[in-house]
Amino acid sequence: MKDEVKTDRELLSRLPTLADSNPRKYNKRRKLIETGLAVGVPASLIALWQLGFHYEWIDNRFYASPWEIVTSKKLREAELWSELWTSVQRMLKGFFAGSFLGILLGVLMGVSRLIRAALDSLLTALYTVPKLALIPVFVTLFGFGDLPRIALIAVTVFFFVWISTMSAIMGVEDGYREAALSFGASKWQIFRHVLFPGALPQIFVGLRIAAGVAVLILIGVELVLASDGLGALIEKGRTLFLPELTYVGIALSALLGLTFTYLVRILGRALVPWAPEDQTPNQN
Amino acid sequence: MREISHKIEARGVEKVFSADSEDEVQALGPLDLQIQDGEFVCLVGPSGCGKSTFLRIVAGLLNPTVGQVDITIKPDKPSPISMVFQDYGIYPWKTVEGNIRFGLEISGIPKSEAKEITEHWLERMDLKAFAGAYPDTLSGGMRQRVAIARALAVEPEILLMDEPFAALDAQLRQLLQDELLTIWQNEQRTVLFVTHSLEEAIVLGDRVIVMSARPGKVVLDQKVPFERPRSPELRTQSDFNEFKNELWICLKGEVEHYLERINSVEKKIGNNNEG
Repeated sequence: MKDEVKTDRELLSRLPTLADSNPRKYNKRRKLIETGLAVGVPASLIALWQLGFHYEWIDNRFYASPWEIVTSKKLREAELWSELWTSVQRMLKGFFAGSFLGILLGVLMGVSRLIRAALDSLLTALYTVPKLALIPVFVTLFGFGDLPRIALIAVTVFFFVWISTMSAIMGVEDGYREAALSFGASKWQIFRHVLFPGALPQIFVGLRIAAGVAVLILIGVELVLASDGLGALIEKGRTLFLPELTYVGIALSALLGLTFTYLVRILGRALVPWAPEDQTPNQN
Repeated sequence: MREISHKIEARGVEKVFSADSEDEVQALGPLDLQIQDGEFVCLVGPSGCGKSTFLRIVAGLLNPTVGQVDITIKPDKPSPISMVFQDYGIYPWKTVEGNIRFGLEISGIPKSEAKEITEHWLERMDLKAFAGAYPDTLSGGMRQRVAIARALAVEPEILLMDEPFAALDAQLRQLLQDELLTIWQNEQRTVLFVTHSLEEAIVLGDRVIVMSARPGKVVLDQKVPFERPRSPELRTQSDFNEFKNELWICLKGEVEHYLERINSVEKKIGNNNEG
């Protein structure tokens, strides 16, 4: 029954909603909806894609259907997995080298104003150079082996990690630093107990973004400068007129990116249990 | 038909917070409370007794788990309720002027009018010289003045204040209390004021409500026996201190309950860790 209200008055009521009166049921329901969306949206897009083939909206001479990709004979060939493994190795080497250097330089520049003054504008200028444009330079520098490819991935990853590490170190609250200083902590102790752990959550945000970028550059460099690996496979599909091959390559690189960012995220959560989960867009 | 006679009426309000897991914490209630139009009500109680939670329910930031709060307002007012937070309430990316104008912008007040009102409050709160400054460059007292000006600029029917002066030093605190007293005595509106300080509650309030340790219930609802308009000198009167002691005896019991429980919980945690 509704309250009768005089015209010059209005009643605002604060009432429990389902989320308040039965949070367990509400959370369960919400979780169900979220999982449903996370699975349902990609699944229905793939279904639509498959349907497009079925009704011949899409030309099957140039494109492959999801079913063809999943059932592709290519997937059962050992050769494919060795291509994938080649790519994974390149990516991991590049990612670790780049992350290590990025964290190192980010920390040094975050801690020391002098180093920052010396390198900041230089690195910022280099940061804006499209990394694929460096291929000729890297080939001249590192020869025709795997090294220029790995170096390219490393350089790209480096910049992402460097920037987020530096700003994370600089962003650590003064109060934390001062509390350590008041105990007479040395520079190393401040770094080890305050600055580094304080910056770690933000560093992992950088690492996660860099993980995705590493896959981007990996495929890019393999497209133009490799005879093996996923990128080369995609290109081979195009030149040999085998769309199936191209799409297997694309699907695998998407899965690689998904898996890799996810792993970096899990690592982050294990190493920074005190930080709230970050909100950078990602698969859930 | 139920007649609406109270500005704010809480009936059987409870709030239970539940983390992801099984453990639930009852923070509040059941709480029954009536507040009249134009009344200045102060809520005091030990930490964690749910007084801020109640304020948030009135503000509409949280919903109760059980029960309901009815608030009577005039229709067609864009901002019937505004809130002053302990900190973080004002935006570092807006100037003092921009912060004060914020509520007016949100309420859709025309620009020229909003400007006029903002000017008025800048003057009123002695912030004129800092109109273009960012909050980061201001002292804590100044910042809280900005927060109060922002809340009052929209002319709310109900003003909610969540320990607004807790982060300030004692002198500044007293100064802002006196300012608030003057403002409120000029233009009475319903105020719900959460504080840890009995003195603050008595100087400002018409009524002081002492809440129990968690889950918070009303243990004492006392009219403040001092005439208005009050002056800052009230604090030095002997009957002021008598009244304060009277309330303190009641509050002390609750604080002790709170401490006992904290201790027992800590013992439990300690035992679990050993075991």
